[in-house]
Amino acid sequence: MKGYHLGELEELILLTVGILNQGAYGVSILEEIKNQTGRSVNISAIHTVLNRLEEKGFLQSKMGGATEKRGGRRKRLFTLSATGRTAIEQVKTVRNKLFEQLPPLAMDFSHGY
Amino acid sequence: MDIKRNHQPPKLADRFLELYCSAEKLEQIQGDAYEIFYLNLEEKGLRYARFRFFIHILSFFRWGNIRRTRPTNYSAMNTSMLKNYFKIGWRNLIKQKGTTFIAVFGLACAVGCCLVAYLFIEQIWFKGMLQPNKNELYQLTYTVDENEGKVTYGTVAEPIAELLTNDFSQIKSQTRVKSGFPVLIHRRESFNQRVIYVDPGFMEMFRYQLEYGYPQALSEPDQVILTYELSEKLFGDTHPIGQEIILVTHGKEIQYKVGGVLEKLNDMEMFNFDLLVNFETQEMSGIAVSVKDSWNSELWTFVQIDSESHPSELSAGLEEIRKSQNEINPEKPYLNLELVAYTDLISKSEQIENGVISFLAIGPQVLLGAIGAFVLILAVFNYINISILMATKRLQEIGIRKVMGSRRSQLMIQFLTENLIVCLLAICFGCLLAVFIFLPGFNQIASKSLRIDLFNDPYIWAFLIGLTVFITLASGLYPAAFVSSFKPINILKGNQQIGSKSILTSVLLTFQFTLAIISIVAGIAFLQTNYLNENRDWGYDNSDKIIVNVPESASFSALKNKLSAIATVEAVSGSQHYVGNYLAESSVTYNDQDYEIDLLLAEANYPEILGMKLKAGRFLDSKSATDLTENIIVNEKFLSALGLSFPLEEAIVLDSIEYQIVGVVADFHTEFFQRPMVPTVLRATGESTYDFLTLEISPGSASSAMELVKVSFREIFPNGLFEGRLQADVFEFSFNDVRGVQNIILFSAILAVLLSAMGLYGLVSLNMSSRIKDFCIRKVFGAEMGDLSKKLFRRYLISWGIASVLGGVLSFVLVTSFLNNFFAFHSGVGLLPLASGILGLLLVIGVTVSSQLWKVYKANPSYILKSE
Repeated sequence: MKGYHLGELEELILLTVGILNQGAYGVSILEEIKNQTGRSVNISAIHTVLNRLEEKGFLQSKMGGATEKRGGRRKRLFTLSATGRTAIEQVKTVRNKLFEQLPPLAMDFSHGY
Repeated sequence: MDIKRNHQPPKLADRFLELYCSAEKLEQIQGDAYEIFYLNLEEKGLRYARFRFFIHILSFFRWGNIRRTRPTNYSAMNTSMLKNYFKIGWRNLIKQKGTTFIAVFGLACAVGCCLVAYLFIEQIWFKGMLQPNKNELYQLTYTVDENEGKVTYGTVAEPIAELLTNDFSQIKSQTRVKSGFPVLIHRRESFNQRVIYVDPGFMEMFRYQLEYGYPQALSEPDQVILTYELSEKLFGDTHPIGQEIILVTHGKEIQYKVGGVLEKLNDMEMFNFDLLVNFETQEMSGIAVSVKDSWNSELWTFVQIDSESHPSELSAGLEEIRKSQNEINPEKPYLNLELVAYTDLISKSEQIENGVISFLAIGPQVLLGAIGAFVLILAVFNYINISILMATKRLQEIGIRKVMGSRRSQLMIQFLTENLIVCLLAICFGCLLAVFIFLPGFNQIASKSLRIDLFNDPYIWAFLIGLTVFITLASGLYPAAFVSSFKPINILKGNQQIGSKSILTSVLLTFQFTLAIISIVAGIAFLQTNYLNENRDWGYDNSDKIIVNVPESASFSALKNKLSAIATVEAVSGSQHYVGNYLAESSVTYNDQDYEIDLLLAEANYPEILGMKLKAGRFLDSKSATDLTENIIVNEKFLSALGLSFPLEEAIVLDSIEYQIVGVVADFHTEFFQRPMVPTVLRATGESTYDFLTLEISPGSASSAMELVKVSFREIFPNGLFEGRLQADVFEFSFNDVRGVQNIILFSAILAVLLSAMGLYGLVSLNMSSRIKDFCIRKVFGAEMGDLSKKLFRRYLISWGIASVLGGVLSFVLVTSFLNNFFAFHSGVGLLPLASGILGLLLVIGVTVSSQLWKVYKANPSYILKSE
């Protein structure tokens, strides 16, 4: 269990990087999250989280893919590391385990209303 | 995509990001920020995109992103980069020797002119500021109530100085300063010299470097300190210390020994003097005076206060002195007695009457300042034009450097560095020009002793540094900003066209031409005026007359008889003043109205001797009693000013006595042509003593007569000051003055023309070198030289046309008002100066452009078209 603690945003971004496979960098992650969840995250927050995840070893990165739109600057492309993959899976397992223990929504009117 | 090309993220925010962001994160962050900017731009427009960009840059400002230590290889201003700027700049200047020469020469001339103007203005406004003790020195002043309100005087009663010594412990030293013009006698020659009488403390308070002797020489009452100039004049090569001189004060001769000689002074000293004399010695010559009288005699009093004390500590004691003054002299009570800081004396010179500095000579300052500014503007414009054109040859360099990642600011630094090199060269050459050519010339013209004193004068450094910065920025900022703004893609594609058709170049050129025209017109008009004035009729016959001063009225008759006895002297007449210097001002009453007039009291034959032209009536007769008491002669101006016509029945009241006008003489110039004709009254008196004698000499013997006159004069006055002069020379001093101004103006006109011609030459030759192929191809296809020259000339002729109109009007207005200020009699700005200004410039333009056309004419098209 220990060592795989992930924050909510961290989890979201880790997942998105995974989804985007080879093309994950700041702006694409921002767009993907927006499209998938409708949630608009600040770009600087994404950068911070990406850096933190890389420090923890969940992500790997390399530079590449300069475009005109970026004023000729390269992107930092992120990929999921093996540890990252394990971390997501573990988080998912834990969450599922907890979810399954959730009692069904009982519609007995036992509270006397 | 078009939008994208046209719009860029806000520079400011971008720079901020580059400033704070650590190098390894900068690329990804900046890239993302740009990408989002363009996304926003497409979706929501420019304003929103720019706003969001700002927000993003601010939100990236986090600890993790901020750079900790400054990486050394990033800075654009480190030493190796600076060295690089200088190296490239230097190579560029060396490569283009001709244009560099034009720029440096023009700027150097401008710097030289500005230095002279600056030094002239400095010695007025920073007078005395080089004294090391200046912050501890104060002058005593007092204020009294007078008819026109409160008036502050720079002189205080003489005994106050003695009271100060007793009453104050804060005063380190003090001195009384009194100026006088005693006659100095050395080896039977007499001179009029400016003396200041000072206490021995003077030499401690004011520091002067001594050539010979020592500053304490003044403590001995019988010693004096001379200036270097006076010592050279009196003693020449002999050692001056211990030499004896005689000063005549209050009619008494006192013998002094020379105790010291100052080094050559420049004009930065507060006091003007030729020798310093101990104050006590001139008191000894006087008789004992009453307390009241001693309080009435006033002089400058300076004190030096301990550096720890503040002048306000003295105010209580000064109040005591003020009270005692009020008791002794109740008619003129001091309202207050104050210390004025030595450093404020110049700025307060307007408020202090009888101060050390009485007038500030604003006119010459404006003239010199204007000339300096003229030349500087011309040179700077030249340089702007040339450097823009020079940059056309460097477009590729700019393009490549931009592609390699140079920022615009770095390119600007490159160009400004080149400017700085040119400026520094110009400043150095300008200083040399000023020291070796301009200053000696100016000093001679203006009888000044200005010099560049780099070792003692901090102000000159401030000026030079300020001038360097100003010229660099003024001449370099626009070209640098303009040239560095090009898009590399355009440059490298070869689409960029600059220079040849730029409006700015034409505007600057037109402005230069205008300045050139104004200065030519000013020069020619001044020359014309001088020529007219030198040949102007003075209203009387000025040849073969000698004027001799009479030092003591008691010996007037003796001198007159002695001089009459000389063979070549035909007639002698005494007068109170003499024509050509100035006359007494007075007023007459006619029909109950007062008129300001000049009054000349003289013997009856004076007008005749002087050769005045009688217009009506008769001259006065010394034999007639009424002529000596009731009759006067007036000039024509007098009649026209009073609206009279001759003969006239009524009497004119002068000094409450009635006089009849018996004669009218033609107007004559009593003063130089700066002053208009003034109504003048000539009155003969029976008195037998006058201050001047005018001798009529037999024609052609003036110079030999002068020697005889001097000998006779010496027999009567062995020690008197002989000031004999020819009547024809009375305006010589003013003529020299005006000739000096004329030379300055002509010089600046020539400089202005030279600079504009050089600027034009640089412009045309650079233009030509970029278009020579164009011309050669035209030539190959059979274009006439006439057509080609028309093409080249057109632009400059348009500039010239506009400049002629502008310059003509401006010069007419400016030069006319200038001449009006300078002369009451002048030629005005006529056709001659205007035409010579405008056509002269046309000639210069023609020659300059033709010299380039000649190149095309001589050029063999096949060589030029083949090359490259």
